[in-house]
Amino acid sequence: MFSSLLKAFANLFKKPQTIEYPLTPIEKDKEYRGLIEYGEESCIYCLKCEKVCPPGAILFIKTDNPSVNEKNKKSLLYNYNPYLCIYCGECVRACPKPHEALWQSNVKPSIAIKSDNVNSSWFELEKLHKKV
Amino acid sequence: MKKTINIPLGSQHISLLEPVRFKFECENEKIVGVDSDVGFVHRGVEKACTTRFKYDAVGYVVARVCGLCAITHSLSYTVAIEKLLNVEVTRKAKYLRILLLELDRVHSHMLCLSHTCESAGFEAMFMRIMGDRELIMEIQELVTGNRIQFDFISVGGVNRDVNHEVAKKILNNLDALKEKVLGYMDEFTNNWSLSLKFKGVGKLTLDDAYRFNAIGPLARASGLKIDVRNEIEYLPYGEIGYKMQTHSDGDINARNIVRLQEALNSIEMCANILAGVPEGEIVVKSKGKPNGESLVRFEAPRGELMYYVKGNATAMLDRVRIKTPTFSCIPAFSHVFLGSNYADAAAILASFDPCLSCTAK
Repeated sequence: MFSSLLKAFANLFKKPQTIEYPLTPIEKDKEYRGLIEYGEESCIYCLKCEKVCPPGAILFIKTDNPSVNEKNKKSLLYNYNPYLCIYCGECVRACPKPHEALWQSNVKPSIAIKSDNVNSSWFELEKLHKKV
Repeated sequence: MKKTINIPLGSQHISLLEPVRFKFECENEKIVGVDSDVGFVHRGVEKACTTRFKYDAVGYVVARVCGLCAITHSLSYTVAIEKLLNVEVTRKAKYLRILLLELDRVHSHMLCLSHTCESAGFEAMFMRIMGDRELIMEIQELVTGNRIQFDFISVGGVNRDVNHEVAKKILNNLDALKEKVLGYMDEFTNNWSLSLKFKGVGKLTLDDAYRFNAIGPLARASGLKIDVRNEIEYLPYGEIGYKMQTHSDGDINARNIVRLQEALNSIEMCANILAGVPEGEIVVKSKGKPNGESLVRFEAPRGELMYYVKGNATAMLDRVRIKTPTFSCIPAFSHVFLGSNYADAAAILASFDPCLSCTAK
């Protein structure tokens, strides 16, 4: 009884166990699995990442004004949906040039709002991808 | 005239974490009949595994069956596929797989214990255990890159290695946690609200545990010596100091004590694993498409998890069958309720640690 009272009194002067979140930002570890980032100039357009992605969050779609990369013979454009991505890193492991063409950062995606049109714009891309 | 009244518990109830409905037939305060419905969170995972995803992506799909035993689900599926592809993973990968499996067990048991406290009205203890659980969550984030959805295991091995710094941090956190779990042991045996209140409530005898096919901590608390970790050869549990924890009482207190002892044993095992991780590669390349049938069992935090996988030499599987521990325990659950007071039902249910998203999948 006495010891628990003492403990209760000591706890009054302790720091709280929680983080005061909006005031103190949560620091992410550098190995935290976050957004997938893409380096266009190193990409060899092997499309391995597109094939292995479990939810299908990477799509290469044919475009009219392709990049100047000479490996891009079919004039494709890389599309990535951070809200569909499960951040498993399977694409990075499949990439023949990891850290140059495709790598995983420790940044979380920003919160999408309705005006971002996340879903319907992605569905359009999926339709285009199916046609080819 | 009918002498009994029917009282439902769920599908939405203040003491429930997940939707489940029990219909109790009560005679005054005593429960004399139980009917249960567990299918409120059905998502069609098994069907999706065979129609929408290729076999190499299914490991990430089944990990989303349940947040608490995500690692056991993905491990069971991956081992089933490895059997079909004849892939022999390295010893290092096996050790890292057990490490995550045991960390997962510790945090799952801690969650269950905190909810048992909450159902006893001991909110302060609930907060304390949930706060200390962060030690494990931190480790999991360091090792796998995420707190809950690990995506750590892939066909042929594991996705990440544990380096020296991370191992040191894990050992520090485990040491701190061990002290705290020993402290809970004291509270759970000596504190009136947690031990005396729970003694003799929700009792499952050894005979009944055997007859109703109870598994996991529920069975071990009744003295039934059943644990898949003891029965499989695949993971080297013998080398890392696995000890089966049993209790003879079979009541809520016994279940709490078994969970605490298992958490302690798991912490010990994790320390042993880190002390003796063998050298080697973490991933072995696999070739071919799965063909044939395989059946795999692993011990999830709540009991035996069974996976049946049938392949047909294409990228799409024929069948993925998941038999989860809570599903197998439902007859035993229903039996325990009979004869106890309705007022105890919420506490008894919390002590089972049911996982309904596993069960309904």
